[in-house]
Amino acid sequence: MNCEVCELKELVVEQFEVREVLRCILHTIIFHRALGLVRPRDINCELFELTYVQCGVPEVEKEIEEKITEFISKVSKHPNRTSQICLSFYETKDKQSAWFSSKTERVYWERWFINLQIINQRVHMKPNQTKIGFDPGENSFSLEEKKLRRTALEASIRENLFQIIKFVNEKMDHLPHIPPNVEGISYPYEIAILSSSESSLDMLKRMLQTGHQTTLS
Amino acid sequence: MAAHPDSGRTTEQIVSQFLSKALHAILAARIPYIHGSTPPPSRHPRKRDRWFHLALGDPPPALEHPSGLIPNGVMEPLVVDILLTPRDDPTMPEAIVERWLAQCEAPAPWSPLHSPAETSSNSFLVKRTYKKSIILLRSIYSVLRLLPAQRVFKMLCASNQSYNYDLTYRVSSFAEPFSRKEEAEFQYHCFSPVETQSGQLAVSVLYRPNLSQFNLEISSLLPPMLITDYVGSPAADPMRAFPASPSERIGSRSSTSFPLRGSQHGQPSTSAPASAPLLFNRPHSWTGAPSEGPSNRAQPPHHPPTGSFYRKSAFNFDEFKFSPPFYMSPTPSPPKFSGSYMQSPLRAETAPVSIPQSGMSKVKGLRSPNLSDPTRNFLPPPSPRSVRTTDPSSQDSFRRPDGLRNSDGYSNVYGTPKGLKDGRDDSGRFSLSGSPRFTFSRSSSRISVPDDLDDPDFSYPFAVDDVDSSDSQARSNDGKEASDFGHASSSHKSQDAAVGVLVHMLRTAAPLRDSTYSSQSSKSELQEEGLGSTSSFFMSRKASDALEELQSYKSIKEMLLSQSKGKLH
Repeated sequence: MNCEVCELKELVVEQFEVREVLRCILHTIIFHRALGLVRPRDINCELFELTYVQCGVPEVEKEIEEKITEFISKVSKHPNRTSQICLSFYETKDKQSAWFSSKTERVYWERWFINLQIINQRVHMKPNQTKIGFDPGENSFSLEEKKLRRTALEASIRENLFQIIKFVNEKMDHLPHIPPNVEGISYPYEIAILSSSESSLDMLKRMLQTGHQTTLS
Repeated sequence: MAAHPDSGRTTEQIVSQFLSKALHAILAARIPYIHGSTPPPSRHPRKRDRWFHLALGDPPPALEHPSGLIPNGVMEPLVVDILLTPRDDPTMPEAIVERWLAQCEAPAPWSPLHSPAETSSNSFLVKRTYKKSIILLRSIYSVLRLLPAQRVFKMLCASNQSYNYDLTYRVSSFAEPFSRKEEAEFQYHCFSPVETQSGQLAVSVLYRPNLSQFNLEISSLLPPMLITDYVGSPAADPMRAFPASPSERIGSRSSTSFPLRGSQHGQPSTSAPASAPLLFNRPHSWTGAPSEGPSNRAQPPHHPPTGSFYRKSAFNFDEFKFSPPFYMSPTPSPPKFSGSYMQSPLRAETAPVSIPQSGMSKVKGLRSPNLSDPTRNFLPPPSPRSVRTTDPSSQDSFRRPDGLRNSDGYSNVYGTPKGLKDGRDDSGRFSLSGSPRFTFSRSSSRISVPDDLDDPDFSYPFAVDDVDSSDSQARSNDGKEASDFGHASSSHKSQDAAVGVLVHMLRTAAPLRDSTYSSQSSKSELQEEGLGSTSSFFMSRKASDALEELQSYKSIKEMLLSQSKGKLH
């Protein structure tokens, strides 16, 4: 089975924006891949003028929140680096390696790589400026810069979401059969946090060698 | 379509259901209040929800029989135009902001789909078609939330104020072509087609990337909506009965009531079960129930705020309407807070109102506890946050600032939705206003309010409460009004109103002891017999007034404390 890979466009985000951005993207992907019966929920982003859709499965929301928290704790130790999250969908197959033993292996049929560059929030104040005596011109410029950056990030997120939608629309033939009478998640998935030094290609190589992916701790 | 979605379906069923569901998704994400004022209750998914594994809830009434909107079968294109319709100016043309096109295109003669396939592969094709249709529908659902019109939809749904535009829709099987200039203003998004045995199921959308040209702004305030349950309602306290229908209020000195209002679909927006019809006729009622809206992140945006949110408007308007004594009554010390308090939150909205004084004087509860000035009438002012909207129709009797449309124009725009009648004409043209729920209430409120104001027996609901609230406390003549007021400001008045009352009393109360007079009074105490009986009598009278007021203040304080304790627990 082919494993379709989608590498999303890199997003430059500040640390406090990571959670919102990852929620938006991960939930959008899962909504398009949770092909069981779902009751969709619209979520309005707090930081951006965006609305994304959740599939409405509490377990999924919980797992995504946990993974995002884990990701944030990792990246906070290594700021100003590019980090990746990989969302993979797989099938489990029994592989009989010997006569009396068998083991299950995961066969990945789709992977999504979400690339985030985490930056530190810059403060545009000169050392000699006090809180009282700051230059309003300088402060307003930084606010304007932040606003522009936020607008650009919002556009990039929207672009990523359209990229996801385009991908799920175009690549459908590799999807496994949908189990009948299933609600919510129809395919098992996992979310992996890649180290910033490891690229997606390295990860693919490692997975091909080991046969399955374990979540990095 | 009686077939279960997951078994025994045919390609035609799939395509037909897909078009129906896509239309449902589009309208639910674009037309405010398509379900009426009451959002459809969440319940166990029904068979209709199971199609394409996407539970969208009950379709809006306009889509109950989707075959009416898709009359020509699955092979005809389905064109859904989403329009921004000007509300204030009927002469301005409406503008299409989105055009969704879904159709099943017949396969080309050379296409492998054109040739009949074997039965064994039919099942496989149908399953594959269904699976891809599921994903396509999910994509449509997501894209609807990413397009610029989503923001407009959220604004119209979330706000308790009306804008100068409405979102309406038009469904047809023919797409009126755009001019070149118009087409240049649109961007195009095409979904990957799904192959079916009947052809390729293709969906695309033309949308305006920028809606800033429409200058969406608040045009006027929403009319009051009926609040059926509120704190202190007769449902909570049966002793405080309000007239149940307009006929009951004729000739009575009870509070006014307005004709039945509600959603266009006739469902009272209330959670109170048995007493809902009784409460439904009390537009002055108010509920403290939290409102919902798109700010509620767990709700789909097409679910409008609950009726409670709009019921606040009704209450607020009526309180405002009944509180004009601030502008009417001459008082020794002008109630500064009242003028500014009433005007400042409303300055951007309405002008001061004049209410016939005759109606007021007949109401017992309006008399001030201070007997020295029987003309001092007042009512508890509405809480600041609640006085936000008024009924534009009733503003015929109020002096409205410029810019607000008159009620005639407003009711014309929100007339009976013609779309329901026109929906089945030959063109398949279907047009509904974006807020059909206003239809019934607007015209009726416009008629009823002036009549109420002209009624010589007009009285205020709170006055009725004040009058009707009999309490066990002894009513001496001196303290009668004070205790009346103190106990009339009971549970059904808001805490803010009670505070406002207290402040007003404090400001308008006669001085306990005048500084110049105090010296005189002290002298009179020393020279008791010298000053004569008049001053001592006057002194004792002042003291008794002070004691009365102190008692009333104490009672108010106890009431406020009990209310706050009750809320904490």
